[in-house]
Amino acid sequence: MASDNTTVKLDRVSKSFGEFTAVRDLSLDVRAGRVFGLLGPNGAGKTTTIRMIVNITAPDTGTILLFGRHIDSNLQDRIGYLPEERGLYKKMRVADQLRFFAEIKNLGGKEVDKRIDEWLARVKLSEWKNKRSMELSKGMQQKIQFITAVIHDPDLLILDEPFSGLDPVNVELLKEIVLDLKRAGKTIIFSTHQMEVAEKICDDICLLNRSQKVFEGSLREIKSSFGRNSVAVRCEGGDGVLDDPALVSKLVRHADEAQALLAAGADAQTLLKRLIASGAVIGKFEMVEPSLNDIFITKVTEPA
Amino acid sequence: MKKFLSVLKREYIQRVRAKMFIVSTILLPVVMSLFGLVPAIILSIETPPMRVAVVDQTGRMYSQIRQALFNDQQEPESQNANAGAPRTPPRRSFSRFVLEEVNATTQPLDQIRASLDQRMRARELDGYVILPPDFLSQGKAEFISRNAGDLFSPRVLQQAINRAAREQRLIDAKVDTKTRQELFKPVELQSVKAGADGGRQTDSSASFALVFGIGFVMYLAILMYGQIVLGAVIEEKETRIAEILFSSVKPFTLMMGKLVGVSLVALTQLAIWAAAFSVFALYGVGMLVSPEMRDNIPSIPLSHYIYFALFFLLGYFIYATIYALVGSMVTTAQEGGQLAMPIILILVVSFYLFWPVSRSPDSPFSFWVSMIPFSAPVAMLVRIVTQTPPFWQIALSLLIGFSTVFVIMWLASRIYRVGMLMYGKRASIPEAIRWARQA
Repeated sequence: MASDNTTVKLDRVSKSFGEFTAVRDLSLDVRAGRVFGLLGPNGAGKTTTIRMIVNITAPDTGTILLFGRHIDSNLQDRIGYLPEERGLYKKMRVADQLRFFAEIKNLGGKEVDKRIDEWLARVKLSEWKNKRSMELSKGMQQKIQFITAVIHDPDLLILDEPFSGLDPVNVELLKEIVLDLKRAGKTIIFSTHQMEVAEKICDDICLLNRSQKVFEGSLREIKSSFGRNSVAVRCEGGDGVLDDPALVSKLVRHADEAQALLAAGADAQTLLKRLIASGAVIGKFEMVEPSLNDIFITKVTEPA
Repeated sequence: MKKFLSVLKREYIQRVRAKMFIVSTILLPVVMSLFGLVPAIILSIETPPMRVAVVDQTGRMYSQIRQALFNDQQEPESQNANAGAPRTPPRRSFSRFVLEEVNATTQPLDQIRASLDQRMRARELDGYVILPPDFLSQGKAEFISRNAGDLFSPRVLQQAINRAAREQRLIDAKVDTKTRQELFKPVELQSVKAGADGGRQTDSSASFALVFGIGFVMYLAILMYGQIVLGAVIEEKETRIAEILFSSVKPFTLMMGKLVGVSLVALTQLAIWAAAFSVFALYGVGMLVSPEMRDNIPSIPLSHYIYFALFFLLGYFIYATIYALVGSMVTTAQEGGQLAMPIILILVVSFYLFWPVSRSPDSPFSFWVSMIPFSAPVAMLVRIVTQTPPFWQIALSLLIGFSTVFVIMWLASRIYRVGMLMYGKRASIPEAIRWARQA
């Protein structure tokens, strides 16, 4: 499904609010039919970037092209946007609500009723169709909000922290839907700081930090460029070795295993020898790719 | 346009369907009619007549007073007979007296006082009047009563004694009965507006009352619905829907949709009430309400009715948009309520312009206040019914007014959008100005 077409193209885009620069000189390409992860810590400029793409606010300088055209209100109808700040009309019934959100995307008529039923069935909320949204639990509301972003079958779907606050079952449910949409040829921009989720569904990522792009590219390339300098270890004893800064620059202990990031100049063989020499009982010793989380933390905490 | 209609439709249907709307629509006419009927019922409750003794030391006044009091009670009856509708004026029950004369010549005054006081204590008497011998020249009398809190009866009594004294003085001055009657014949002043064509005349006092009524309904509508417009504008901020909407709808479209939607709800409710009121007035208590009101449906030119409607809408929208503007600046309805206070003040001031404008409708002052959008609705209506200004002035006033509505809405939508981008912050006035300028 991947093609070389670019759905969204940002060219040297900047935006400031008064003294504060939210986005500086940002260029990026979101390719059609792929899941693009817009990652970064809080306040990095993710939301401002998205708002410029959906035409809520205009960039100070630079250009944004959507489907090869400058954004206008007709193009807005081809975007589905689920912002991080989202809500529902409390007293409106679910079906009325979904119909309204479809209507303001220029979709009306019988088709809407059909889609409302389909989508409610898909997120397992059919029996809530005629309830007021204030009667729904937070997780249910979130699924309804998700439908408001996809009911008009947009070509570009922008999701800002779509899974925050959902239980694992529902995260899995929505993730499947997102991947289905991708298979159907939709382009998806996915903004989050939950790296584990991004790692599982993104094809391409762009990391923003302090209003600027840190890197951009396909997830695979980025990971391989970071090399295999991480070791997953499960052992008894050998604590002194793992804590040696000459060998291990960073150690993250999980419940029953630890992840050791090798220090510059150290190699895994030396670490293994030292562990055996220290008399540790080794249950697992495996070279692993750095997780997106590690890359994220490394990049974000690097001095600018 | 389609999106505007979607916003409007949602706003309208959600509100009209709400329980609050249905309850208030039904309740208000009920409450209003209670306000109208209860006093009438209370006033018509018969109270026992007031027993008053008259100590007439002049020896000539008692019969005059009796006659004056008696005529006072008869007068409204005769008026009714003329109007052709039998009804009981509620006033009557308060001014009923039983008079008795106390012979002041046989006993000294102190003794009379003592015995009257005793009768009052025994509740055989409610009060007594002492007319001293020099009453006709000095004009001073004394009224002692059991119920000092009764403000009404002494006044009625005073008026009667007053008339009686005047009558008696004229009799003393040898003025004959016929002359006396002519002297007291009331004058009639008919207020008539000179028609534009010189021939046709319209009842200006009736159209004046109508303008006053329109102004009042406008005022009520603004008070009731301004707050709702404000709430509607804040709704998407409080529910955090604004950002989703702005990825689909322009802020101006959203604001206009909301304003017009809420306004249609207001008009729906007012129309229901107007219909209820007319039914009520024509069939229900038509007999209770003064019949003259029904006969005097004023002969107002059709064009005036159109102007009434236009300026009513203008007045409503001008103020409703200011509420929307306030709503765009604040984050909660509570803050909005505080900030909306000055609006009410402007409204009240513009309402008071009714009087200066009606006195000199053609003055430069009247011209300017009828051009300023905030005072135009009342001022221009007053001018129209008093001395209809040239058409271009009316048109200009409407043009300025409705343009102002759009400008305010445009401003509000800009402030709203920038405010949304900076969450949870209430705009100060300078900030709001800066936000409005920001792209």
